This record gives sequence, structure tokens and C-alpha cells, in this order.
Amino acid sequence: MTLFLQFFLTGIVTGSFLILATIGFSFTRRVEGFLNIAHAELLGVSAFTVWGLNNLLGWHIVPAAVVGIVFTALVGLAIGRIVYDPIRKLGPSVLLITSVGVAYAIGGTVDALVGTGIRTLDIPLATSYRFWGLRITDYQMLVVAFAAVATGSLALFLNKTSMGLAIRAISANPELAASRGIDVKSTSRITWMISSGLAGLSGTMLAIVATLSTDIAFHQILQILAVAILAGLGSLYAVIAAGLIVGVAMDLSVFWIPAGYRPLIAFAVVILVLLFRPEGLAGKKSR
Amino acid sequence: MTLYSLILTTLTFGAMFSVLTLSLNLQYARGGMINFGTVAYFAAGAYAYAIFTQEPPSGLDQYAFGFGLPWYLGFLAAGVASLLFALVTGWPTLRLRGEYLALTTFAFAEVLHSFLLNERRIGNGSVGLSNVERPDPTLIGLNDMLTYAMAAVALMLVTAFFFHRLLKSPFGRTVDAIHDDEIAAQAIGKDGARIRLQVFVISAIPIGFAGALYAMTTTLVSPALFTAEITFFVWIALALGGEKTILGAILGTLALVFFQEAVGSIPFESVRAAQIAASVEEVVTGILFIIVLRWQPWEKLSRRAKA
Repeated sequence: MTLFLQFFLTGIVTGSFLILATIGFSFTRRVEGFLNIAHAELLGVSAFTVWGLNNLLGWHIVPAAVVGIVFTALVGLAIGRIVYDPIRKLGPSVLLITSVGVAYAIGGTVDALVGTGIRTLDIPLATSYRFWGLRITDYQMLVVAFAAVATGSLALFLNKTSMGLAIRAISANPELAASRGIDVKSTSRITWMISSGLAGLSGTMLAIVATLSTDIAFHQILQILAVAILAGLGSLYAVIAAGLIVGVAMDLSVFWIPAGYRPLIAFAVVILVLLFRPEGLAGKKSR
Repeated sequence: MTLYSLILTTLTFGAMFSVLTLSLNLQYARGGMINFGTVAYFAAGAYAYAIFTQEPPSGLDQYAFGFGLPWYLGFLAAGVASLLFALVTGWPTLRLRGEYLALTTFAFAEVLHSFLLNERRIGNGSVGLSNVERPDPTLIGLNDMLTYAMAAVALMLVTAFFFHRLLKSPFGRTVDAIHDDEIAAQAIGKDGARIRLQVFVISAIPIGFAGALYAMTTTLVSPALFTAEITFFVWIALALGGEKTILGAILGTLALVFFQEAVGSIPFESVRAAQIAASVEEVVTGILFIIVLRWQPWEKLSRRAKA
């Protein structure tokens, strides 16, 4: 029973990480209207920027993380402006396919700069705490805390600020929003900054809790897609629920089936959801 | 690597992957379906070929079946396996459109990959099946590499010809009609979902054959050979060549494979230099892809040709 609860707890941590990794992706989908396959590559950009500053230049982890996240936000903004903006009129399918090219370009750049091999940050080892026989490390708690703070502040931003309202207006009906005088360009810029910054945050978290190799980004996109689909490619709260469901399902699955199938759980979720509820958990029927 | 062998390798793998590009062309440009799991049909063909021709397991082998059949039966089995996999994955998913279809096909491919990796009874898990049976053309006095290059080109030409005829036929016009205006097509009694499934299944068969040929050429099947990279590679080739034409799909793939093989054949001083070259090649491929999708030079050319 303790083991079961332990898997459940680890699942919550995995889920929190998935939430962090997915909100930016889901946010882009909502405002920009397409699936940005290259989103996960931004996790890699941030993880390896932090690693480079921390390991190669000897920076403390905190400034390294801040610079890494800001840098990733700017990279995301630049890609949004240079690559996606000019082809927006070609429709979501072309944007989706283009993002594969973007993923190649970013992944290749990271590969060229970093090379192969496994990297770790130069930070103290995680301290493990015990509560009622369950283990959790301080870094794991950090992931959960950041997921809570990031989703909380994003919710506040979307609901309480005028920029947030503008973003919501655009995601609901771009033509109407534009005709009512909302500046589509500047909201688009803010969207790219926020979603890429969130990717940067989750990449930094990944660098802290896991060992890094340049192919991690690709493995993340699979799980990000799973969470986003389960969430119905939309609401922030659905992303939270979906992240926790997928995280817990993946970690609990180890209880019954071989651990090698853990990533497969995420995909079984995608297939089942799309077959039975094509619009996702919280989605509305649109066709 | 000499220029001759560079060209032969390009022809072999370029022609083989052209078959995948042609199928995508049929599915995407004509059927309007985004298939992000192409590698799965390719893998199904390669594994079916290997399993049907492999000797029965012995000793430390962990795979459950090896039928030891001759290569031509394995080749047929590859087409059938791909067809069946397309039926199984297409039947429930083809009511989904656009990005949703892209994601489910992607998910199906990952599920198959994960099974091949973890379920050792299928194909020996991550080790894969090696020494895959292949017809040996040297027995009748033919050059090995040349023969496989010719076989790949032949498969490509047959596929291209078949798809061309198919699209010129009444069936092809129905496909186009559904692509242009599904509701109008339904009004004259054409079932969109059914036609889409037919296109999906038909275009999967040659992918299976290409998989078998791939297994013969490399004499190895293992999960590491069949990753999502292949799917994306084929998509990039399709965009490079211009998505609307059969010739474009072929030229795009050949050009991309030639580019990769050429970079791969540069003799590098160190492992690190070769790694960097491989990564830079990836970057260039990605950027080319973005540029082509943005300015669509081939679309403009063909429009000008028509005008």
C-alpha cells in the first residue's frame, strides 16, 4: 500500500512537471491556433542554456535559471515573429507541419553546440524527506510549487489584466477581436513570450530533476501532446487536470505493467480520448 | 565513398523513401489527411518481412515466431501487414480531421514503436532481428548494390504509375471532389469517410513493400531504425518537392537523401566534427523546410505553367 501511495505521489510530481511543460503549448494552441511541435525543443534550449551557464561558466543555479528562462522566451518570440507570423494565413495544418521544420532546426542547433552524452547540473544532491513512509525530495517539491505558481499567475493574468482579456478575446474569435480594435500583433508577441518563457521554466525544472541529453526534448513532446489532447487543447484548468491524470496514470502503471511501457500509457490516453471524445476532456463539440 | 556508390546509395534509399513520400502525397494533397505515423506502416512491412523469412527462434532468441519462408512470401506479407495496420488504425480515426488525425496517427506509431521495443516476442525487442533473409543477386551474376538500387527504383516507378492511374480514374475524381467540397460530394452519394479510408489503406500497401525492401537492404530490423524521425523526414521531403505532384514528391526525396548521404560521406578528422556536420545538416534541412513552406516556390511555378 505504501508503495502504491509512493507511485501516486511520484505521479503527482510527474503530473506537475507535465502541467508546466504543457501550459505554454496549450496557450499557443489557443491563441495562435496551431500545434507547435517545436515547443518541446524550447525546453531543451532552456535546459542546455542553464547547463552551459552553470557548468561551463560556473554561475550559481539561480541567475543561470533566470537568464535561461529569459533567453528561451526571447528565442520563442523571435521564432514566432520570423517563422510563424508570415505564414499564419496558410492555416493550422501548414503551421503544424512548419513547426516540425522548426523543431529540426532548433534540435540540430542544440546538438551541434552541446554534442552527445549525459549532462548534469552542478547543484547539491536532492535531499529526501519522509512523510508517513513516503519519500519526496526538495527538488520534486520545487517542481510542484512552480507548477502551482505558474498556473496560478497565468490564470490571474488571463482573468484580471486587460492584456489577458485581449488574449482571451483573440482565442475566442480572432476576427471579431481584431475588428474591435485589439492589437493582434502585440498580443501575439506577448503570447510567444509567455508560452516560451513557460517552456523555459519547465526546461530549467527538467535540468534540475533529471539528467540531460540532447534527445530529451523529443521525448517531452510526446507527453506534452498527450496532456494537451486530454485537456481538449484548450482551458488552463483542463490542462491541470489532464497533467495530473497522465502523470499519475504513467507512474501508477508501473505498479501493474513493466516500466518500459510507461511512455505508452500517455499514448493510450491520447488514442482513447480522441476515439471517444474527439474534442478532449473539457472540449465542446464543434462539429 | 566514391561518387558511384554515393549515387547508388542515394538511388536505393531515395527511391525507397520516395514510396513513402508518394503515399503521403496521396493521403495529404489528395485526401486531405495529415498522417504523422507513416513510419509505423513502414515498420509493419519491415517486421512482417523479417518475421516471415526468419529462421525459427533457437537458443537465446527471444522472438516467438520465425517462419523461415522464402523472400517473395515475406515481401507479400509486408504489404498485407501494412494494409492491415492501416485498416486497424484508419477505421476508428478517419472521422477525425486535421491536427487531431495527425496526433492519433502519431500516437499509433509511438505505440507500435513501444511494443516493438518492449515486447521481445515480436521481434527480439531492442536487439531486433539481424541477418534478415534476402535474395542474393550475385548467385545469378548480378551486382548486389546495383540490383537493390534497381529494385527500389522499380518499386518507386510502379507505385508512382499506380497512383497516377488511380488519380486519373473515376475514383481519383471522387477523391478530389471530396477534398474540394465534402458536403457537395455527399449530396451526390459519395461517402467521404469511406473513400478516405480507401485512400488511406491503398496508400499504405506500397509503404509496406518499401519496408520489406529496406529490411532486405539493411538486413536488420530493430526499433531504433523506425523512429518518428522517418515520418518527419518524409514530410520534409514532401514539402521540399512540392506537395501536389508525383514527380515533385520523388525529386524532393531524392534531393534530400542525396544531401544527407553527401554530408555523411565527407571524411571527417574527428568524431566531434562528424557529429557537428550531422547536426548542421539537421538545421539546414529544417530551415529549407521552413523556407519552402513559406514561399511555396513550386506552387507558384506550376501556377505560372498553367496560366
